[in-house]
Amino acid sequence: MNKVWTIKIAGPAGTGIKSAGLLLAKMLNESGYFLQDYSEYPSLVRGGHNTYQVSFSVNKVYCVHKKLDIFISLVSGHWQEHESEFKKETLIFADNDGKINIPFKEICGELGGNIYANTISLGLLAFLLNLDKNFAKKNIEGAFGNDSINSKAFEMGYSWAEKNCQRLPIEKGKEIEEKIIVDGNEAVGWGLYKAGLEMFVSYPMTPASGLLHFLAKNMDEFKIKVIHPEDEIAVASIASGASMAGTRSAVGTSGGGFALMTETISFNAQAGLGVVYFLSQRPGPATGMPTWTSQGDLLFAVHSGHGEFPKIVLAAGDHEEAFELGKLALNLANKFDIPVIILSDKNLSESSANTRDFNKEKIEKIESLKVVPGKGQKIKLYNSYEHNDEGFSVEGAEESKKATDIRLNKIKDILAAMPKVNLYGNNKAKKIIVAWGSSKGAILEALKEMENKEDFAFLQIKGMWPLDPKIGQIIGAFKEKILVENNATAQLETLLKSQMTVEFTKKLLKYDGRPFFPEEIKEALND
Amino acid sequence: MTNWRSGVIPTWCPGCEDYVIYAGLQGTLAKMNLDQDKTVIVYDIGCIGNMADFVKAWGVHSLHGRCIPTAVGIKLANPELNVIAIGGDGGIYGEGLSHLVAAARLNIDITVIVANNHLYSLTTGQSSPTTPRGTKTKSTPHGVPSVALIPVELIKTVNPEVDAEHINCKEPLKVNEAMERAISKKGFHLLDLEQLCVSFGKQLIEKKV
Repeated sequence: MNKVWTIKIAGPAGTGIKSAGLLLAKMLNESGYFLQDYSEYPSLVRGGHNTYQVSFSVNKVYCVHKKLDIFISLVSGHWQEHESEFKKETLIFADNDGKINIPFKEICGELGGNIYANTISLGLLAFLLNLDKNFAKKNIEGAFGNDSINSKAFEMGYSWAEKNCQRLPIEKGKEIEEKIIVDGNEAVGWGLYKAGLEMFVSYPMTPASGLLHFLAKNMDEFKIKVIHPEDEIAVASIASGASMAGTRSAVGTSGGGFALMTETISFNAQAGLGVVYFLSQRPGPATGMPTWTSQGDLLFAVHSGHGEFPKIVLAAGDHEEAFELGKLALNLANKFDIPVIILSDKNLSESSANTRDFNKEKIEKIESLKVVPGKGQKIKLYNSYEHNDEGFSVEGAEESKKATDIRLNKIKDILAAMPKVNLYGNNKAKKIIVAWGSSKGAILEALKEMENKEDFAFLQIKGMWPLDPKIGQIIGAFKEKILVENNATAQLETLLKSQMTVEFTKKLLKYDGRPFFPEEIKEALND
Repeated sequence: MTNWRSGVIPTWCPGCEDYVIYAGLQGTLAKMNLDQDKTVIVYDIGCIGNMADFVKAWGVHSLHGRCIPTAVGIKLANPELNVIAIGGDGGIYGEGLSHLVAAARLNIDITVIVANNHLYSLTTGQSSPTTPRGTKTKSTPHGVPSVALIPVELIKTVNPEVDAEHINCKEPLKVNEAMERAISKKGFHLLDLEQLCVSFGKQLIEKKV
């Protein structure tokens, strides 16, 4: 098996860690490596402690590793809190800080500014990882312009490394076809676009804002309308109105914004309007920890909106699924004229991977059959009150029961259209791991590296609601059942138990704002 | 002439000035000969919102406070549509005031008609944002503690480019003229229509509103 290499760059906000990280990812991508990245940052613009981390290999990488091969501290004092991530062979670069001393300050002084440590470290990494120097330089110039000091900074980092370091024994990358680097938010955006998205409405909220930024940046090319109104209630109401007028619409938010939107989940269910809600989770309650990750809103999403009605909740486990489910969500919202929620989390939304080029995919649309104004169809009232076929309000016992039945009877067809579960590993094994959402990556990465991987099957659920009743039988066939969730209260277990008989023999729950790392999964599975 | 009546018999109290708005709107739509297939009316929740069932036009009976953002979504989705939002002082000046301000700032081409009777009447007469200070209602037995909002002044301050006018339903012809002005005009137009609730508004007769 080929080694997975992991690099982390750390320093205060405002030192260009994210931009260096993105350039590094680009360079690794162009050099033919599979990669996954992950950033940590507090909710502030300057200062604090930010990190960018990337794992890469010549083979598929599903998740960043916790243990590092290279650590770079852009300013002094930023490595000490990472000691648990160091192995004995980890190269720890810091400026006059008791580790491998790289004179960032001194080189920056020669360049005439203190903001170049990030680009100097790219030069260092290009040497250590034996990345094509011209590729690297082309990228730096692409990002900062031809004659910029950044080019010089890169060169100086590279030559410092030539003099002071040895190259790492890294296998050369392979030709990988059609790779683009996307984060989870962008992957969802591509999916929505490829299902014929026409309007996206959103109010900024971390970690979902990336989807707003991506679609706003591409609104002219995609020929879509992107609207940022006064609040999340307006966001969702505008999307409902647009859907009524025959426009394929979606909204994006995190838990707090979704809380404000829930009245429209109920409204769209009653009025029969398809709208996609992208919900990227972060730890709550309330403002919680804005820039960290969680799977704490599963039950909130499933139970959102007052009243009894069908809705769809999907959860993407990786970037490819974010694309596929983004596409499916918009099509199902229009096929059934109901609200559809796509769950992501900070870990997927803001982490990047290289994937196939989604822009080369065809646009595939399922059109809504509902009548809309301006096309000569029979006039209708879209009503938030209980109503008859024409849309007029009704309150009679028989009529109201009938209307509820019509809505709930859609569930049978909805179930048939839901995405199937993924069953990985050895399905004859004694043990099954059950998970949803972005924990998928850490589990697959752990299994990939485990000597006893044949002991495990892994069930990933993507269709969170309505639930496939067969899930209970699948899990029931295994002797040991291990639940893995990035929340404190095992919400998937609660949900499964509400619909079927399931007993877990072991639960691995993590709720500290950090995602699972493969090392933790391995340890827990072998425990 | 196009029929703008759904056939459902209105359920308002006898003597309610909602009939003035209902008749005025139908007369105006007929007079202007608007394309019925391209006319969408979005109704708030409340007495005036119940007009949703009585009018023949594309419609959305939206949630309380949300007739404006819903109308904005429809207009943004298809600018060819004539879009009218109708609600009361509770929905438009209370629950949904931020949406009124935002739509006026945007100067989006929709008409907002408010049946302003200074009370929540469908819920049997609690105070609204335009109830005069001191008025005793079911929800304010010691008198309303806040000063009343003056919507037209507010909106003209928010965006002097938009039209905002206050007309009394006691002058139906003026209501009709104002509706025609509002609907024909490109851009945002607020029509604040003064009313008196015949069932719960008697204590407001003495008040200067």
